[in-house]
Amino acid sequence: MTAISDSPSAARPSADAGVAMPRNRRKTELLMLAFAIVVVLFAYASTGFGLNGKVPAGLLEYGFAFAALMLVAHLAVRRFAPWADPLLLPLAALLNGLGIVMIYRLQQSHQIITLSSSATAEQVLYSAIGVIAFIAVLVFIREVRVLQRYTYTLGALGLILIAIPAMLPDSMSEVPGTGAKIQISLGGFSIQPEQFAELGLAVFFAGYLVAKRDVLSLAGRRFLGIDLPRGRDLGPVLIAWGASLLVLVFESDIGTSALFFGLFVAVIYIATQRTSWLLIGILLFVVGALLAAKLFSHVGARFTEWLHPFTLANINCNPLAPHDHCVSSYQLVQGLYGMGSGGILGTGLGHGQPYITPLVQSDFIMTAFGEELGLTGLMAMLLIFGLMVQRGLRSALAARDPFAKLLAGGLSFALALQIFIIVGGVTRLIPLTGITTPFLSQGGSSLIAIWAMVALLMRISDSARRPAPQPIQDEGMTQVVRAG
Amino acid sequence: MNRALTRLSLAVLVMFGLLLINVNYVQAFQAGSLATKPANGRTFEQQFHYQRGSIIAAGGNSNVTIAESRPAKGSTSTSTSTGSTTYTRYYPFGSVYAPITGFDSVYGSTGIEEAYNKYLSGTASNLAVHNLVSLLTGKPKQGANVLLTVSAKAQQAAYQGLQNDGGHQAGVVALDPTTGAILAMASTPTFNPNKFTTLNGTKFDQIDKAYLSDPAQPLLNRAINETYPPGSSFKVITGSAGFSSGKYAGPTATIAAPQPLTLPNGNQLNNDGGEQCGDGHPQILEAFYLSCNTAFANIGMKVGGPTLQQYATKFGWNDSTLTIPMPVSASVVPRVTDKSFTALSSIGQFDDQATPLQEAMDAAAIANNGTLMRPYLLQSVQAPDLTTLAKTQPSVLSQAVSSQVAGDMQQMMIAVTQNPAGTAYQTAGPPTVGTLVIAGKTGTAENGLTNTATDDAVFTCFAPASDPKIAVGVIVKGGGFGADAAAPIAVKIIEAYLGVK
Repeated sequence: MTAISDSPSAARPSADAGVAMPRNRRKTELLMLAFAIVVVLFAYASTGFGLNGKVPAGLLEYGFAFAALMLVAHLAVRRFAPWADPLLLPLAALLNGLGIVMIYRLQQSHQIITLSSSATAEQVLYSAIGVIAFIAVLVFIREVRVLQRYTYTLGALGLILIAIPAMLPDSMSEVPGTGAKIQISLGGFSIQPEQFAELGLAVFFAGYLVAKRDVLSLAGRRFLGIDLPRGRDLGPVLIAWGASLLVLVFESDIGTSALFFGLFVAVIYIATQRTSWLLIGILLFVVGALLAAKLFSHVGARFTEWLHPFTLANINCNPLAPHDHCVSSYQLVQGLYGMGSGGILGTGLGHGQPYITPLVQSDFIMTAFGEELGLTGLMAMLLIFGLMVQRGLRSALAARDPFAKLLAGGLSFALALQIFIIVGGVTRLIPLTGITTPFLSQGGSSLIAIWAMVALLMRISDSARRPAPQPIQDEGMTQVVRAG
Repeated sequence: MNRALTRLSLAVLVMFGLLLINVNYVQAFQAGSLATKPANGRTFEQQFHYQRGSIIAAGGNSNVTIAESRPAKGSTSTSTSTGSTTYTRYYPFGSVYAPITGFDSVYGSTGIEEAYNKYLSGTASNLAVHNLVSLLTGKPKQGANVLLTVSAKAQQAAYQGLQNDGGHQAGVVALDPTTGAILAMASTPTFNPNKFTTLNGTKFDQIDKAYLSDPAQPLLNRAINETYPPGSSFKVITGSAGFSSGKYAGPTATIAAPQPLTLPNGNQLNNDGGEQCGDGHPQILEAFYLSCNTAFANIGMKVGGPTLQQYATKFGWNDSTLTIPMPVSASVVPRVTDKSFTALSSIGQFDDQATPLQEAMDAAAIANNGTLMRPYLLQSVQAPDLTTLAKTQPSVLSQAVSSQVAGDMQQMMIAVTQNPAGTAYQTAGPPTVGTLVIAGKTGTAENGLTNTATDDAVFTCFAPASDPKIAVGVIVKGGGFGADAAAPIAVKIIEAYLGVK
């Protein structure tokens, strides 16, 4: 483990061609993964010291379990996607681990009634399921191209998954205290299908647009120097727009609605390279947002909350019964107060009071990091997210297959957009819309879906970086292709 | 497709850039203002989880801790939700320093605790580097110590003096006339700040309600926030105005002092007890130490109401902006144009109102050769590593009178205690204090419209007369004669501070 990628053994010399094969960089991944695990264990130990002044119970057991889990993921990558990007797995492990640590820290404060005493154990379990999903994707999807065959099936599945909660009674579909109808709740167990719908829709958008991109690239009229698409080609974008508006209306879930629409616009832009689609998308989004703000009180309330969070009437407004003159901004301002109290270096894990912010374990978990790890820690976490998105976009650039390109680009951009919507929302950069923070928020659906997404990105990067088969020329005219 | 992907990457870069800029804004730039926003429970709770700085009475070669934070009993790391030690505020001298320190409680603070909270709590910007070093070296956060100009000896004497005075409402302030440093400040009835330090909100409410509903208003700092008629002590101002305006040459000039004096409105003004004032045309000096009302009424009428007010203002009257750093209520000399009312105003009656601090400032200006120094409590701020973070440089508030007029006034004030006929000869003169020369002026003010209550006793003075080191203003509501009720308190403070007897 002394050398990272310069190790000569990482590059298998090709005796036949005399050309060095590119390194697959699995040792880099292992080293970075070890580093991520150490960071997570330090954070866990630090939390224990912060809360009780001693090493937390089960440091060794939890540490071993977490390390073993990530090691299994690494071995799966070695076996099934040896040429995959070496940074995605360590970054995912680091974020997942820090998320568990923060859930543990919040649960140990014993101040949050919405956080059960088994929350940490559950989150570890979800992580394990997430890693299993990650491995399953690598095992069963050896080439993302195969997904293209199921374009419409997956698209329909995605739409159904989104639509199910809207059909269910509120008692089964509403996330308590938020008004958002986005889950299926049965006997104490709940699942948020939209998290998985995102993957299905991404595949659908990519598959559909790969097929239709030539048509959609056709120029219609020129207007202000921009080639507008033909009117009859506007159909798909209008349908996507309408669908996302329906999500917003029937499920009160503005964040997800914006996320899906953003995903669609990004994929159509990558597919056609036409700026006009981007402009049309943004225009439709703005019109939709303004219309929704006018027509639906819960959307307008988000704007009021954003613009006037410190008004006493809003802070003291009852979130369950907001009325004409007030919009509850209590959660938003408490998150900001937490970040403010953390300042530049933070209070240290276990030393702050993140539990004051309602539902901090969910949408507002980044403010808990801001409070306890400070501006420094929060910026580091944003950079980790940023790095992850960048690795995804790189995979898209490197991919040779257009479908893989679109899928990787769409998924990466959706990840970036999701982080922007939720972190921007809780830090009052943009109006707050409820949406989970990838890897960090408490809950299984989001975590499992994101691990599956990372696996897809790694599969795409594996295909992209895998060296082309080397022809063996010694056999005369017959070429035997050696599998890379 | 790669061109679009590259552009999309740029868009992502912009999105993350915006997020990073915004979190910097929130956590670095906005953090301070967020801390003071409504319903911020974090700031509120945090203040009890680290050691707040101490308040130290550091004047007059003393160094006595008068407020400190101690770990609360039974607060170990496991008993609190945040895992850190809980501190409670403790005032070792109970109510002795209450008007100065105020209190620090779960529901806010008063007095110095409030005024210098940013130092005591360690949030002042010049403590930022220090806090950072503590953080990096793993030391617990600690507030800075605030050193006050208060002399423990003078303060004890002031507190005892008022306590022994029979439960009258009273206030006293002692100043260093050369700097304006406040050496003592006491008020009765007062409160015990230790009662407010409970971390139990309900208990706090009960105590606070009891204090607030007490008709004696124990939370009121009478030394700076209550005004009383100054009575004859105001003759210091009237005399200064008379000399400064050039209407009277000096203490040896004679003045008509009839008994009684018929005012332009037909009312008759009497001297105290209806006594004659010398031969009816005494020197101003004699009229001063005898405290003849009619003589000074004549001076006031000759100087004129507006001019009288103008000179009073130079002594710090009519200033509602003064802070020490606690805000000081304005002492009032109204602008009077009616001659009869001017006559009353010039002997400290009519609508004249003064704080005990103002009485001390009057004497301090005369003692310091006419230069009135700005009164202040903060001597310095000391970081936990004992470096000095801030220090008060004495500053001039105003030039009240010329040094020549100040000399004349000093001469007259000395006579009040040194001339056997002076009003304070018995209580602040040689029979009581021996060779120490105190220069002063008594005041016995009628109070209330009907004047049925006992008079307010006032004494304004400085000592030693030849080299003034302390100026004192005392007002005892309903105390009776200024010489009897107020002067002994001032004498006790002066003796304690100068270390005589």
